[in-house]
Amino acid sequence: MRYDVVVVGAGIAGPIVARNVAKAGYSVLMIDKKWAIGTPKQCAEGISIKVFEKYDIPYDKRFINREVYGAKLYSPSGYELELRYKEVSGVILERKVFDKMLAYYAAKAGADVLARTEALDVIRKDGKVVGIKAKHEDEPIEIYADVIVAADGVESTIARKAGINTYAPPHEFDSSYEYEMLIEGFDPDLIHLWFGNEIAPRGYVWVFPKDEDRANVGIGINADNPKTAKYYLDKWLKENKIPAKKLLEINVGLVPVGGFVKELVKDNVLVVGDAARQVNPMHGGGMAEAMEAGTIASKWIVKALEEENLSLLQNYTKEWWETDGKRLEKVLKVRKVTEKLTDEDLDLFIQVLSGADTEKIASGDYTEVIKALLKHPKVLLSPRRIKLLKELL
Amino acid sequence: MPEKIKIVVNEDRCYLCGGCAGVCPTLAIEVHSSGWEFIQDKCISCRICISACPVGALSEEPLEVKA
Ligand SMILES: Cc1cc2nc3c(=O)[nH]c(=O)nc-3n(C[C@H](O)[C@H](O)[C@H](O)COP(=O)(O)OP(=O)(O)OC[C@H]3O[C@@H](n4cnc5c(N)ncnc54)[C@H](O)[C@@H]3O)c2cc1C
Ligand code: SF4
Ligand code: SF4
Repeated sequence: MRYDVVVVGAGIAGPIVARNVAKAGYSVLMIDKKWAIGTPKQCAEGISIKVFEKYDIPYDKRFINREVYGAKLYSPSGYELELRYKEVSGVILERKVFDKMLAYYAAKAGADVLARTEALDVIRKDGKVVGIKAKHEDEPIEIYADVIVAADGVESTIARKAGINTYAPPHEFDSSYEYEMLIEGFDPDLIHLWFGNEIAPRGYVWVFPKDEDRANVGIGINADNPKTAKYYLDKWLKENKIPAKKLLEINVGLVPVGGFVKELVKDNVLVVGDAARQVNPMHGGGMAEAMEAGTIASKWIVKALEEENLSLLQNYTKEWWETDGKRLEKVLKVRKVTEKLTDEDLDLFIQVLSGADTEKIASGDYTEVIKALLKHPKVLLSPRRIKLLKELL
Repeated sequence: MPEKIKIVVNEDRCYLCGGCAGVCPTLAIEVHSSGWEFIQDKCISCRICISACPVGALSEEPLEVKA
């Protein structure tokens, strides 16, 4: 079979690319190895309210479990910082439905979609990648295309087989484990995050509410940690006397939190989303980032096909690095500072901030927040803390 | 010569999440919708996959060297 574009992976990045390219009138095939697109989920399902308008996605109640109004942060000794907005700030999705609907929008726009179709390798001719060798159920298929999009998530095998270096060291990944479970006692209008080196090394424990009494309860820790994410989550639940007796799902996965791929394009092959390590390294959210990268990538794919000049694809690398890449590099810097914080630092900072101007924090004015922290006596007396905070300015 | 190992999966624990395939520097692990696969020839015995697995489904065994 032959298409203008083949997209490997129907998570978030893949369907955005497939939809946009199909809308422009080009033939697209999107494949996914899952036999039901979206299932199983590997996600806490939280996303900013802004993405729906920005990426032209319908605000369809079928994949929105709950609207949330902000976040509550907990320090190791239990200091709390609540950031509550008047308006809805984000939603907790139902990714099984969301991913499938994104693929549906791509199909409606003209793309072909094949579930249970696994890309096994690239096809090369005269040293050039000309397509994808795949398997639909047990039937081998060869898909020839002018442009190949690797949107195959954290595994990122297709880009690597095409010669794009997507390797990142293990420290640049979070290892994650999550229960979708019944849980009580947490304000279901907020997401809840617990920090601490004993609680979740380098990461955090989260409760993302899907109902008044149902939530995604999970954890992310550094992937080079000798203990498992499961160990830390079960320990946290036990220590907090939260019964884990009503488990509806168990979700597992690794999240890239750094190591953004430098060269996002090689000849006619592009890499997007988790496969390109395009995730927010601070909180491990990657859906919005996958949408953004998919949008930039599809813009240049359409241009390259229109002008019959595949070298225009290189502009995707350039534009991504000048925009979202630049932003994420800054976030990575913050992650690298915060991972040096001791539990006492975390206690102090959250304690100080909870008495500070939370309006400013909620509006994302971090410079003001850091300046406020720098004035605190316990910070002023510690050259180490001053140094850490100044790295953030 | 540094000791060569074989990576083995506990299928009853593995969720086929693909994480180990993602961190493996040499594509020595492939995760298919129908199962987990280890490709001995590509493995460089770095053990990155073992600590990265969120549920501890991977372990190592010494690789018997053929005489
Ligand atoms: C536990 C956990 C919690 C998370 N929570 C959040 C959150 O709350 N908010 C947020 O924004 N992000 C979150 N993330 C991150 C988010 O899930 C990802 O960043 C996002 O899904 C990336 O989208 P993607 O399209 O790049 O990849 P994916 O969504 O992973 O999609 C990749 C697709 O490719 C398919 N595929 C892989 N290999 C092949 C192949 N060889 N052939 C065919 N198909 C293939 C897979 O089956 C998959 O469907 C979380 C991640 C984890 C693990
Ligand atoms: S990381 Fe663990 S759970 Fe995930 S596929 Fe590998 S062995 Fe299985
Ligand atoms: S030990 Fe290293 S090379 Fe071998 S499978 Fe694990 S991650 Fe890959």
